[in-house]
Amino acid sequence: MCSEPVTTKADAARCLLCNVGCPVRIVRSGPDRYIPDYVPHAGYAGLCGRGSVLVEFLDHPQRLLGAERGTGANRRRIDLAAAIQEAAGALRNCDGAAAVIVDGNLDLNSIAAAGRLAAANGAAWSVFVPPSDLGLVQGLDSAGCEFVGPEGLATADALLVIGNIFATHPVAAHWVFEARAKSRRMPVLVIADGSAVTAEFATSVFQPRLAAGAAAQAVAAIRTGKTDAAGPDAQSLAAWKEHLKKVKSPVIVVSAELGAADAQNLATEVARLAAEVHGRVLPLTAYGNAWGAVRLAAAGGAQPIEKVLAATPRTLLVIGADLESALGTRAVSPAFERAERLIYVGPMPNRASSRAGLVIPAAFAFETAGRALLGPDREVQFSPLLAPPAGVPTVRAVVQALGGPADVRADATGKVAAASEAAAEAVADAPGVRADADGLVLAPAADPFHFADGSLTRLASWPPVVRPRPALVMAESDARAANLADTDLAVVDGPAGSVVVETVTSAAARPGQARASAAFAEVRDMFGWTWNGPMPGEPVRVRVRKA
Amino acid sequence: MAIGTTEKRVVLDLDRCIECKSCMAACYYGHGRMTGLNFVDIGPALLPIVCRQCAEPACVEVCPARAMKRDERGVVARGIFMCRGCGSCVRACPFGMLSVEMTGHQVAKCDLCADRLSRNLAPRCVSVCPTGALQFATAAEIEAEGLAVLGGRIAGDHPIQRR
Repeated sequence: MCSEPVTTKADAARCLLCNVGCPVRIVRSGPDRYIPDYVPHAGYAGLCGRGSVLVEFLDHPQRLLGAERGTGANRRRIDLAAAIQEAAGALRNCDGAAAVIVDGNLDLNSIAAAGRLAAANGAAWSVFVPPSDLGLVQGLDSAGCEFVGPEGLATADALLVIGNIFATHPVAAHWVFEARAKSRRMPVLVIADGSAVTAEFATSVFQPRLAAGAAAQAVAAIRTGKTDAAGPDAQSLAAWKEHLKKVKSPVIVVSAELGAADAQNLATEVARLAAEVHGRVLPLTAYGNAWGAVRLAAAGGAQPIEKVLAATPRTLLVIGADLESALGTRAVSPAFERAERLIYVGPMPNRASSRAGLVIPAAFAFETAGRALLGPDREVQFSPLLAPPAGVPTVRAVVQALGGPADVRADATGKVAAASEAAAEAVADAPGVRADADGLVLAPAADPFHFADGSLTRLASWPPVVRPRPALVMAESDARAANLADTDLAVVDGPAGSVVVETVTSAAARPGQARASAAFAEVRDMFGWTWNGPMPGEPVRVRVRKA
Repeated sequence: MAIGTTEKRVVLDLDRCIECKSCMAACYYGHGRMTGLNFVDIGPALLPIVCRQCAEPACVEVCPARAMKRDERGVVARGIFMCRGCGSCVRACPFGMLSVEMTGHQVAKCDLCADRLSRNLAPRCVSVCPTGALQFATAAEIEAEGLAVLGGRIAGDHPIQRR
């Protein structure tokens, strides 16, 4: 289906931190020191800032280099073979009350091998991909669209871009500029946050409310010309269809920012619009191998992740995925706590490994050879960027040692059907962006006036009587809906408490989204930050009312 | 000052910068976790700025440790074992290119990636730029393309407005 198939290069390592899948190599610049090098290949310019962190992982001081048993202060380093034997025994003796959850950004064969391992032990299994990726794949895979790789953007003569793709997939911008260089008047129609960098390069921008279904309604408004449902500012969308229809090769670039149900609705609308304007579609996913993972999960009988977690398996084997960070503690923690044996296999410590009773180190995906499906018909083979550290096995080797098959050739050619609406909504979404919630999404703001570094000590030096209040920056329409005006005092109610703020309305703020200064302890409490802990920076969903 | 490849300068096409900071990441990892490249927020855009390699560099004039000097390639470079991190050059630079690294107590200074230039490769920030916004060009090329020279004059009709 892909009109411009990507040449498979077996001799190139790939960055899978998004589905652009840039080729990458590193060069040794000293003893135990490596730096990324840049591979101009088929128009690729190199690695984005995110891809550059691959080298950070290679020699990360916290990397898991040995097997460990026990939790907390009782954790001890043990022999790798003993750890694998113990894990294999736990899987074998679970009487069918076990589950395997594998990260979807591993290579295709490793995912398939994990599925076979689960089946051989009578265990349930699931493949984790970000909910928005899952929705995009389920909405588009069987929709009959003509797809294109990022290189295909260079041949476009009109673009409809959904999402802030220049921030999420910077290298994709390379081909947008190539196309624009050919035709300075090329329409670049953007549906995204108006303050996003992608919007700066648009010929027309529509800013949807940050709420489930808003982006899909905007796309539907383009297709049908009925703009009422998309909001009061949506009249301009009616003309966008003509921009796309009157050119020869329009491309719709779609990325999703909310949950699975929202992404699936958006994808369905994109497919309908693409059919009417005879356009091609470029889906951009957060996981490089999201397409392959979702297809393998469907073909291999994997269960939805929320179903696996709800079944509270006695033995839970987690391979690679940092589920708590991705899905939130509330969605994951009960299953972790109730599992008698939690086993973690992966390269880096995370919240799952800290709870696990048995930890087995494994190589990163980019330290192994394998295959990935970057999009429909965009299968690539990749070679290792670097060998894993001595004594650290690959995921394939661990799965095989646990009793999995020695040789697996995954078939990721089968398309997946769209999930039912209820099933898509049931997928655990990231906190703050749940599709079924209302209210505003609150994000931490960097506020230079109020000590952007989040310092407690400096703020504590303010006498309480003169201490500044946190400001809540919100869209004028949201303020009106909450019966608030500029400078009014408001109470923000969130999942972790309430805080009194001073309202600041702004025409630049995106409807559905509010920001509060992270310098204040009471604001940080809303996000569940802990003393001296990491700053998760995750948005939370809140309600705002007049004080 | 045209010595070999160093007659070229790193320049920015304002119409292509998407503020992804890939240049900064590449510089950071390529120079032992120090970056000689900064970003400046001019309101409508956040733009990378790199050293202009001045003809009469103030940083060289003021350096009490003589750590800053123009090397044989014409690049204003910092001697890694001579820099005391006093910050004199930081204050002297009229373009605000320099900053003191607090952890290393040294000043990060763009050397146009000497290790890459010796292999006829462009500096890392240029090589990594996904959109081609950063270019390694001669004065004549800069003039012909109408590119903006970073940290100094800004060419073009609408320097802070995307075309």
